Amino acid sequence: MRRSPKLLDRLRLEASDLENHVVDEYLAGRLDRRGLLREGSRFGLALPLLGGLLGTADPFGASRALAQTGSRDATIRVASPTPAGVVEPVSTATSGGLILLMQTGEFLIFDQPDLVLRPMLALSWKPNEDGTVWTFNLRPNVKFHNGHVLNAEDVVATMDRLANPKNGSNALSALRGVLSVGGTRKVDDLTVEFHLDAPNGNFPYIVSSDNYNAIILPADYAGDWEKTFIGTGPFKLDKYTPKVGVSFVRNPDYWGTKALPARTEFTFFADQQPQILALQGGQVDVVSQISVQGAQGLLNDPDVKIVKVRAATHRQLHIRNDVPKFADKRVRQAIAMSLDRPALVAGLFRGRAEPGNDSPFAPVYPSTDKTVPQRKKDIPAARALMAAAGAANGFEATLTTMRLQEIPDYAVLVQNACREIGIKLNLKIETDAAYYGKAQPGQSDWLDSEMGITDYGHRGVPNVLLGAPLLSGGAWNAAHFKNPAYDALVAQYIATTDLGKQREAAGKIQTLLLDETPVIFAYFYDYLTATAAGVGGLTVTGISQVFLANATVA
Amino acid sequence: MTATSLAAADGGLPPAAAAHADPAAEPFATAPSRAARLLRSPSFMVGAVIVLFWVFCAVFGPLVVPHDPYGDDLLNTLAPPSAAHWFGTDQIGRDIFSRVIVGARPILSVAPLATLVATVAGTTLGLLTGYVGGWLDSLIGRLIEVLLALPLIVVALLVLVALGPSSSTVIGVIGIIFTPLIARTVRSAVLSERSLDYVSAAELRGEGALHIMFVEILPNVLPPILVETTVRLGYAIFTVASLSFLGFGIQPPSADWGLAISENYGMMTGGYWWTVSFAAAATASLVVGVNLVADGVQAVFE
Repeated sequence: MRRSPKLLDRLRLEASDLENHVVDEYLAGRLDRRGLLREGSRFGLALPLLGGLLGTADPFGASRALAQTGSRDATIRVASPTPAGVVEPVSTATSGGLILLMQTGEFLIFDQPDLVLRPMLALSWKPNEDGTVWTFNLRPNVKFHNGHVLNAEDVVATMDRLANPKNGSNALSALRGVLSVGGTRKVDDLTVEFHLDAPNGNFPYIVSSDNYNAIILPADYAGDWEKTFIGTGPFKLDKYTPKVGVSFVRNPDYWGTKALPARTEFTFFADQQPQILALQGGQVDVVSQISVQGAQGLLNDPDVKIVKVRAATHRQLHIRNDVPKFADKRVRQAIAMSLDRPALVAGLFRGRAEPGNDSPFAPVYPSTDKTVPQRKKDIPAARALMAAAGAANGFEATLTTMRLQEIPDYAVLVQNACREIGIKLNLKIETDAAYYGKAQPGQSDWLDSEMGITDYGHRGVPNVLLGAPLLSGGAWNAAHFKNPAYDALVAQYIATTDLGKQREAAGKIQTLLLDETPVIFAYFYDYLTATAAGVGGLTVTGISQVFLANATVA
Repeated sequence: MTATSLAAADGGLPPAAAAHADPAAEPFATAPSRAARLLRSPSFMVGAVIVLFWVFCAVFGPLVVPHDPYGDDLLNTLAPPSAAHWFGTDQIGRDIFSRVIVGARPILSVAPLATLVATVAGTTLGLLTGYVGGWLDSLIGRLIEVLLALPLIVVALLVLVALGPSSSTVIGVIGIIFTPLIARTVRSAVLSERSLDYVSAAELRGEGALHIMFVEILPNVLPPILVETTVRLGYAIFTVASLSFLGFGIQPPSADWGLAISENYGMMTGGYWWTVSFAAAATASLVVGVNLVADGVQAVFE
């Protein structure tokens, strides 16, 4: 299909100013093909218009995913982490739980691995001019597994449930300050308006699969999700045994193309090594997530296929800004300058990562300002900073963290790097339960430690990462960083709908964080999934989601 | 006059041995002859050589290793054994040979200290329960049985989770969980001693209970205590390594062998055998060495 100027002109007449701005950016060469898809999808750009611009009838490549070889009607066996506690869409917060939510549940929008948004239960979405109200049109004739037909009231109830602090909602990390109870309003049976707390240019990501709690549930959902795994997805529950595993079967009433596998089986494992051995021994077809450190055997195995997703997954090394020995930002800068980031990427991840530049703006984000200079290892300069801060003789401190994947090794490397600038770091490495504690100040090593390393997952946009760990009132602000200028810049970034202006605000935020260095972001690593060589058609995202509807086994 | 001095005056035979002396049996060996028999014991000598080698590494290791055992080299990770790195490098590029050598220090600090704690506490409890008897024996005896009914490694893990892992906590925990075992052994030995004449003589002299337990009886129950201690040392080494492997023992960046196995065992399936094998072999050799010493001691003293 070739681009038709006349067709484009006609379609542009029907488009909003924001949509036309995206088209202008593409036609002027400031957005590439992928950028057009990503930006177009963010504003719900009409499919015909996108197709017309790109010269294709299938701009999202959805049909390509079905072109798999191998056996259909197969059973796909997956090794995944044991869910911590009850699997419940509102409160689930771990990879073991969230991978189950999206087996039977669906989101309004699917955030693809390349950060392009694709319609799921919402067919289209549009903002008003200032990004404070977003209107979503829902897909008609979608049935829940119990036969109930999806309507706007289900979406309103789901979002109010997630936005309500009384429900212990894990989604509040994304929704707080964005969408409150009552902000989601029914317009008609298939139209919903989101009235936001503040302008937000990235809102579609907040209600997409990026917010893994946001599967749409029936309005009358009353809990006990583990009994039904109710949703609208291509699979429905067959059998669930807590702490052991769960199996699903194809949903014959699914609104879209029916799932290729007849059945999927998830077996829970507490550790990575048995999962690896199960894959190598042929007991499972997929290991949902592997780490470079523990899975060298798979990375070198010709009978295993590694699915790699470039992601914003990272570790945050926080430094308490309100502790006297770290109060001078030159000390924090010195610590950051003692780290050799390319070596960390090469040594810890065998190249399956990218260096970070001490802000949440990962290289994968289109809004990241890549003109901001990359911080590099410079021991003489770091020592000079320590001397200028009156800490030439160094001091002793404790780095607290948890036992997870490469984190203990990273802690040792930070310890060695700090030794070069005179800081004697003692390591306190504990279980994740002990580290997070009650996740409240005064009851959590994570939030109370003077230095700590914390695991952070991928997000399709950096909004959550800019907020909770770094805003003055942020719930995850382990660095105790309080900076009004930063808070204002983040508000400006979040409210901006235009990519160019987002990038401009991002540049200012990146520069400010480099100067203040409340948190060290040394690397962003790829999300890795392992499958047997004959398995194909998986869609994997950077937040531990594995979509199996198009999976086949050779 | 103490039991020991009585024994010396009686030609070197301790009263207990003298009282039960079987004319057909070989007389109980004197201290010098025990040492000579130990030195003639092949198992003791082999074990001693192994243990002394690791003790030498623990004491002088940091002075003789070819590389900084804690220094990373991220551009040379997981290198196989070579002339530059005899045992290869680990996943952050540290020299494994150097780490195995200096790794003897943490385990040979923690395990013997834990065994010492258990020996002192267990001996005290064993003397008390065995000599005093009565309700105290019943009470402590039941408590010991309760403790012994629990899986020791699980008890250790629970305590370490509650208190947080550190070398001193590990010493305390292993000391506590081994105490009942030693107490039970000592109590049995004391029970066979308390009815002997030298204890009755001390009581007639009006000696206090503490004096009788620690000055009269203790020297005569030292052989079983020594045997039990050497046996427990082997178990303590194994327990320290197990706790480190489980992540609740000695903490990074220590070169501790159990920790090294824990940090690298995932590498085995990738073919990086050297990251685990040498630390595992070192642990095994030390446990075997201590057990050979224990066998030798047991053969001579029992």
